[in-house]
Amino acid sequence: MSDFVEECRREWRRLGVPDPLAEEMAADLASDLGEAEAEGVSVEEFLGSSVLDPRSFAATWAAERGVIPEPPGRGSDRRTPFALVAFTAVAVTAVIVAALLLATGEPKLSLVRSSTTPAGTTRSVVHSVSAASPIEWILLFVAIIALGFAAWLWSSWSRSRPPTAPA
Amino acid sequence: MASPGPQRRTELLRGVLDLCLLAVMDEGPAYGYEMTKRLRERGLAIVGEGSIYPLLGRLERDGLVETYRAASNGGPPRKYYRPSRAGRVALAMGVAEWRAARDAVDSVLAPVKIEVAS
Repeated sequence: MSDFVEECRREWRRLGVPDPLAEEMAADLASDLGEAEAEGVSVEEFLGSSVLDPRSFAATWAAERGVIPEPPGRGSDRRTPFALVAFTAVAVTAVIVAALLLATGEPKLSLVRSSTTPAGTTRSVVHSVSAASPIEWILLFVAIIALGFAAWLWSSWSRSRPPTAPA
Repeated sequence: MASPGPQRRTELLRGVLDLCLLAVMDEGPAYGYEMTKRLRERGLAIVGEGSIYPLLGRLERDGLVETYRAASNGGPPRKYYRPSRAGRVALAMGVAEWRAARDAVDSVLAPVKIEVAS
């Protein structure tokens, strides 16, 4: 019995559970195990298969109590995926940029041809891309599609998240 | 498909053990082992993996129980648990959900006439 409690205590120390909390949990566990033993209830009967893996038992208890981070594989499932956040940010930025490009009427991109003449260098504008150019509309269209796709990904991700695990 | 009896029982119990704990501590504050005794008296032995401690830890973290330390009968001071206000609300809601689920499952399983031969 005391071996089990000592194993738990060591695990809590290793996990960084504050000493007063670890002592409290160890004392509660020792008292309960002692009482169970006095009543003829075996440790196995009281703790079930946990008795075979004190480290896991101690880690689960501490995590459920919120005194250490949840074990990997539980918390990480609920974490927001970085790639999804980044993709959404890019899509939103693209929509804003396209909208701004369309909102401003001035030509913004020009193809300029330079030529050297005996009188000096002359530059002539060959082509200007204005707000009315299809490129902004295409950008806006693609950005909106990307935003919609991001919304669908968020929806799928939130549906696929595991529910709060029962005991 | 079928799991052995004790395993199925453990799985069934796992989903409502938090309600059972809230219910027995609602009858009167109790420490960990005392709760298992109250459950055992009603035929609910905590079997299989895990125990009540992680669950009590979660209930405490979620603010569903209040705790205090007091001396037990002739023993060392124990940590007593009782449902908080939020815990009693959670208990009431959980019991309603359990009854609805139980009735639905009963409506499916009740007509089954097959019995296990002894």
